[in-house]
Parts: sequence; C-alpha cells; structure tokens
Amino acid sequence: MFRRLPGAVLLGSALVFGAGVAFQVSAQSEPEIAARAGEREWWSPGIDMTVPEMLTYSNSWGELSIYTEGAPIATKGHAFFEPIGANGRACVSCHQPADGMGLSVASIQQRWKETKGKDPIFAMVDGANCPTLPPGDAASHSLLLNRGLFRISLPWPPRDPNGKAIDPEFTIEVVRDPTGCNTDARYGLTSDQPRISVYRRPRPVANVKYTTHQNFGVSPFIGKNGLPTARDPETGRPTSMNLMSDARFPTLKVQMRDAAATHLEFKGRLTARQMSQIEDFERRVYAAQVSLVQAGSLVEPDGPPAFGPRNLARGEAGVLGNNTTRFVFPMGDAWKVAKPSETPEQRAKREAILRGQDIFMFRTFWIRDSMHLNTVGLGNPTKRTCATCHGMHMTGMDAANGWMDLGTTNLPWAKEVPVNPWTDKKAEMPLFKVTCKAGVPAHPYLGRIIYTQDPGRALISGKCNDVGTIVMQQFRALASRAPYFSNGSAASIRELIDFYDRRYNIQFTEQERLDLEIFLASL
Amino acid sequence: MERAVVLRGLLLASLALHSAASAAEDHLAFVSCPIVRDTKTVPCWLAEHEGETYYLGIQTDVSAPFSPPSLGHKVLVEGEKTDEPRICGGIPLRNVIVSVMPERADYCQTLLMAEDRYTLPFESPRPPGPSRGRLAFSFPEPEKVMPPYKSRSFQLRYDFDGTVGFRHPRSLVAVMEYASQINARSIVIKGYRGRTILSNGEALTEREGLAELRAKEAANLLQGAGLTSPEYVVTWDDEPQTGDASQRRIEISVDP
Ligand code: HEC
Ligand code: HEC
Repeated sequence: MFRRLPGAVLLGSALVFGAGVAFQVSAQSEPEIAARAGEREWWSPGIDMTVPEMLTYSNSWGELSIYTEGAPIATKGHAFFEPIGANGRACVSCHQPADGMGLSVASIQQRWKETKGKDPIFAMVDGANCPTLPPGDAASHSLLLNRGLFRISLPWPPRDPNGKAIDPEFTIEVVRDPTGCNTDARYGLTSDQPRISVYRRPRPVANVKYTTHQNFGVSPFIGKNGLPTARDPETGRPTSMNLMSDARFPTLKVQMRDAAATHLEFKGRLTARQMSQIEDFERRVYAAQVSLVQAGSLVEPDGPPAFGPRNLARGEAGVLGNNTTRFVFPMGDAWKVAKPSETPEQRAKREAILRGQDIFMFRTFWIRDSMHLNTVGLGNPTKRTCATCHGMHMTGMDAANGWMDLGTTNLPWAKEVPVNPWTDKKAEMPLFKVTCKAGVPAHPYLGRIIYTQDPGRALISGKCNDVGTIVMQQFRALASRAPYFSNGSAASIRELIDFYDRRYNIQFTEQERLDLEIFLASL
Repeated sequence: MERAVVLRGLLLASLALHSAASAAEDHLAFVSCPIVRDTKTVPCWLAEHEGETYYLGIQTDVSAPFSPPSLGHKVLVEGEKTDEPRICGGIPLRNVIVSVMPERADYCQTLLMAEDRYTLPFESPRPPGPSRGRLAFSFPEPEKVMPPYKSRSFQLRYDFDGTVGFRHPRSLVAVMEYASQINARSIVIKGYRGRTILSNGEALTEREGLAELRAKEAANLLQGAGLTSPEYVVTWDDEPQTGDASQRRIEISVDP
C-alpha cells in the first residue's frame, strides 16, 4: 500500500495499546477481526488510555491524523469517553478518532459483525430505525447499517429557545413511513407529544474552533433571512449557528446536554466538570488527512498550508476564504514545481490535487433554485463555483448559519428508489409532505407543496423557506467518514460529485471528477 | 449601483441636463420575465417591456445594492430610462429597483448564452467566482454617538409584497447599535404598504395587512435579537401609499 509516516510509527505504541483494550471482546469471538486491529482501531466506551498528541490511522485513500493540542488527555473518568448513560455508549462511540471524529458506515458494519449487533451504537433508542422494532435483527437497523444514519427525534411543532411553541408556517403529513416511527402511536406525529423522526449522520467533532467561531458573519441577525440569531444562553452573544444539520443548538454546552440525554440515555444533568471535560477535548482535537496514496505526505514542513491537523490548529477561524488573497484551502507554492525527491507518480497525484483545488475555487457553473444561496443577492441562477457556498477558510463551510437547500433531502433531487411494476425494492427513507399555509409566501422554488425526506432547519424554525435546508459539514477527514451528506445519500466522494453534476448540470469531464475527488480526499 | 459607480463620469453630464419633467416621462414601472445573459465575466440581467430591452444590472455579491432577480419569477422593475449606450443589449435604467414577484412564473426561464458582441463596458466589481480579497462594495462604519442623545429615524425597504429578508440585517443592526448606544427608552415603529402605478396605467398594490405584519415583525426581530429594554410602540397605516419603491417600508424611530 503506502509507507506510514515516520511520525505515525513513533506513535504506534499508543495505538496498539488503545486498540488492544478495545478489541478484547471481539478478539475472543471473531479472531480474524483482531488481525485487522492495526488498520481500524475502535474506541470502546470506558477505554483506559492517554490520548497522545498525534494519532494516525489508515483509510482507503491514505492516512488521517488526529491531533490533540496541549496536554495529553486521560480517557479514564473523562465524560467524552466514559459510558455515563444507561445504554453503554459514550460520546466516542459515534465520534471515533479513526473515522475523523465521525462514524463511517464501514465501521458500523464491522461493529455489527464483530459484536453480533451488541455494540452500544446499535441501542434501540436511535440506533434502530424505530425503537419498536425487534432488537438484534439487521433489518431493524437497516438505516444505520446501510447509510450510517441515527434516528433524530424532534418535537412538532417546534419550540423557541424559551420553550414556547412556534406556530409553523406549514402543515406536515407523513407520506411514507418505512421505519414505522413517524406514524407510531408512541413516537410518531399523532402521539400525545407529537414528534418527527429524521435520520442523520454523525458530524465530525473536531476542528470546532471553526464550527463555533465568533468572527465573520456572526451578527444579531441571520444574514440569510434577517431573523434573530440564536444566542449563547450563558453570554447572550450571537453564535455562528453552524452546529448540527439544523443549527438547533447554539453552543457545544447546549448540544452536549442533549447528546447525553438522547444518545447516551443519561438521566439527570451533566455536572460542570463533565461539561468542561467534554468541551475541553472538543476544542483541542483536530482531524485531517495527512497522506494520500501515491501523493505521499500532505504535511511536509513546506507543504500546502491547507493540509493536516496542525495547520488547522494554526489557521484563522471564521474568516472568508472565497477569495484569491486567502483561499478556502490555501495550497501555497510548495507543490508548484517538481522537487528532486518526488517520484513521477507522486508528482502526478500532487498535480491532480492542485487541479482539484482549482476546480473547487474557479470552475463555474449555474447554481440554481437553491434556497438561501440564490436568495441572498446573487440572483437565480448565479454563475459561481463550489467555493461560493463553501467559503469558510480551512473548512469549506459557510461562514455562518450555513443551512441551504441543495436538494439532498427535498424532492425532486433527493435520492429516491424508483417506483415501478418491475421492482420490489422499497424506499428506506421516510417521506413527508409539507404544505405551506395560506397567507404565507410560497417557497420561491418549490411552491406550496414540498416533498422531503428531512425538512432540516424547518423542523426548528417552522419556516416554509427552510424546508430541506441543511447546515453544511466541514470538508475534513472526508476519506475516513463515508457516506456523505446529512442523510448519507452519497456513498462515496465520487457519488457526491455526481450528485452536484446532476443537480447543477455542471458537465464535469472525467478528468475534472478525478481531480476534484482526490482533492476532497486529501482534506 | 455597480453601474452608477462605473458610469458616473459618463452620466454626470447627461444627468445635469435632465429636467424634472423628462424624468417623470422616463420613469418606467413594469412587471415582466427577467432575462439573464451570460458574458465572458459575470452574467447581466435584462427585462423586456413593450418591445424594448432594458439592462438592470450584473451579478456581483451579497454586498451589492443591486441584487439580480430570479428566473421562475416575474420581476417588478422601477427606474428611469437613460440615453446611455446599451449594456448587454439593453437600455440602462437609472435608480433601478427590482423586486422579485413572489408567485412562481415557471415560464420565465430565458438564459441567453454569452456572445462576443455583448461585453460589459466596465470591469465587474466581483468576478464570477472568488473575490479579490474584499466584498464588491463596502459600507462606512457607523460613527460613535455623543451626548446629548437625539431621536434618530431609520427606514427599512421591502421587496414587493415582501417581509424581512437577507438585506435587512444591516439596517436592523444599525437600529440595535444606536438604541444600545443611547440606551433608548422607546422604539416607535410604523408600517406601510405600497402601491405602484405601472407604466401601462395599472395599479399594483401590496397585499392587505402587510403594513401591520411588517411593523410587528420588526418589533419581534429586534426583541428576539435581545433589544428588550426599550418600550415598543408599534403602529401601521394599511392604506396603500401610492408612489415608488420607497413606499414599501417601515419607519423606526429610536428615542432616548
Ligand atoms: C449514537 C451516536 C452518537 C453519540 C453517542 C453522540 N453523538 Fe454527537 N452526533 C451524532 C449525530 C447523529 C449528530 C448529527 C445530528 C444532527 O445533525 O441533527 C451529532 C452531532 C454532534 C455534534 C455537532 C458537530 C457539528 O459540527 O455540527 C457535536 C458537537 C456532538 N455530536 C458531540 C457529541 C457529544 C459531546 C456526545 C456525548 C455527550 C455525542 N456527540 C454523542 C451522533 C452521536
Ligand atoms: C448552493 C450551495 C452549494 C454549492 C454550490 C455546493 N455545495 Fe456542497 N454542500 C452544500 C450544502 C447545503 C451541503 C450540506 C448538504 C447535506 O448535508 O445534506 C453541502 C455539503 C458538501 C460536502 C460535505 C459532505 C459531508 O458529508 O461532509 C462536500 C464535500 C461538498 N458539499 C462538496 C461540494 C463541491 C465539490 C461542490 C462543487 C461541485 C459543492 N459542494 C457545491 C451546499 C453547496
């Protein structure tokens, strides 16, 4: 395959130690898995180790590093790593270092095999399509096993930060309920406390100074629609509203209380100590690719400043990079000319990465009918590039309140199973019909009736215009955490690129696809 | 307007000659499908009215005073005809205000390809991709307020039939900043709705109840953003105000 980086070899002992603990259970039942332990290290809740400064893991594209800035962290007694709730999970269960602090579907499938479905990630509460289904049956966990999706159950109608019910601009019906949860008497929309279940990917918990910055675009009013910005309940300050697919939590603290209560089934309140442990780790951990097959190291001392977790730790947070003075992902000059030490393959791959970056920044296409992009002064359509939406320096997120409708969850663009007389294939995702109420302006692109698999931000705001808008994730550790998009609808980077090609009729050439793919994999 | 910035030199002479009477004659207000024409750089936006093509403006970025309209919707165009050289094949309009009509108009889909004969006669303030390190337009920093504090009024303008949108944060922030600097005792908001007389004589009136909706919405926005200490006096006049785009507005007075 490829050489391990010198730094990674040095850290090997820490890896083996961590993995050894984690794999004790599985090694007894399925010995062939143990042999792979060096490749994909699973961190089980309650793991007892010291998180080293640098951890390196392989993935199909090369290697990823997790860099923990500052003093080493002991996982014993640490609220991010301990199974503090009732179901045996810890935060780390779904935010795995080897998966770039997210959770790949490959890891999920491997855990299913190794533990015969007993790993706490499969807890019925949200690790199953619906808690009502028979446990231990793969079919009950199909969305998690096939697409890496956890169930997110949200109250309907939504409530404002003071707990007051919001009067939504639309009504919502369940058109299709393959998981059974949205029509369930206890969990569904018609229960005493109506709730809606949507299915989403874990998001990477790393590089959080970028996702929680207080810089460009943070204002008392949301730059996309003029509504008040969610504020930090402790300080009263406006936030960047870039956490979660729907920005429902303004800060890491508010988020972790909910994560503990829902994902971990933790009863009671996290203590101040537990909260500061979690936030301290979240704020110190960085994740990014560090090497790429054939291209070699991405993090040589004079290498491109976009790459690797140390550069992320050094980078300026919350500034625009959609410009030629700073760049979203700055490449610098290091790779512009061949070095004597480079092999021809290495040179070719590095040039492909540079071309991919150019496509991301400069390859124009017509961006059309995308809510909160075409509606913010650019016109519809607008001739722009990937970096128009993905403009934040170092992460490729939107600088603030980054929810937009790309069509990943709204029809007609969302991934759907064809319906016809010649197939038995059934849709896996729920489908909702949203009807904008009379007297409310219709959605500018989708009209009054919208079909969606996940209303996204609209489940929080109650706004018609927010239906299917999703907060973009950072472009980091992509190679370690497939599938992509909040609903896991793109199985690979290639499928993600194909989605854009269809959505905006970009007409990428094969070469452009390859270049863009390798560029995204190197982040 | 980007056009105004670039063409200022050219326009000055002709501007001086314009009498009030001819300005009224040159005033245009019409609703039609917008047309987008690609160019070698950024797209330009046009609209047709009575067999003539008018140039509205170009794509720049969020900072621009001119925001291009939307295919799939008609556009209300208000402005004054000029005798300046055509841009992108259209007659330039002065003081142009475009307003995306809320209803879908699926047949408004004209996207014209770039042709060598249609080039922008000026450099676009923003290329069709990354900027050159700054937004296309910049705004002056609000000046520090010194006592004795006075009442100050602010105006928020709206798209036809529109409520709050992406262009309002700037004004709303200005209201909030002034209110907190002077420790405002009261915020008086008055809402209006507009009526535009189109060039064909028809009257286009904003929906009923909008004056109230706009006024109440603004109060909710300011309070929601944390400006809760002043007392709010919210009124509205739902009688349609006949005139230009400036009638689609609310007035906010911030009082010490
Ligand atoms: C069962 C899996 C699971 C567990 C356990 C879990 N999470 Fe998550 N996490 C998710 C999912 C799914 C999302 C995305 C949800 C959404 O977008 O609505 C997420 C999102 C996040 C985010 C937002 C990241 C971003 O940039 O948007 C943070 C922060 C986070 N989790 C922290 C935690 C913490 C802290 C814990 C432990 C208290 C925890 N998670 C436990 C699945 C999990
Ligand atoms: C109109 C705005 C827009 C444009 C243009 C755009 N994106 Fe996105 N992108 C989004 C949104 C919104 C999401 C989140 C969607 C979701 O998760 O469902 C996203 C998500 C992503 C992700 C994150 C996936 C993950 O799971 O972490 C990647 C990578 C990405 N886009 C790449 C691109 C590339 C490459 C291009 C250019 C071909 C591009 N985007 C153009 C809005 C845009």
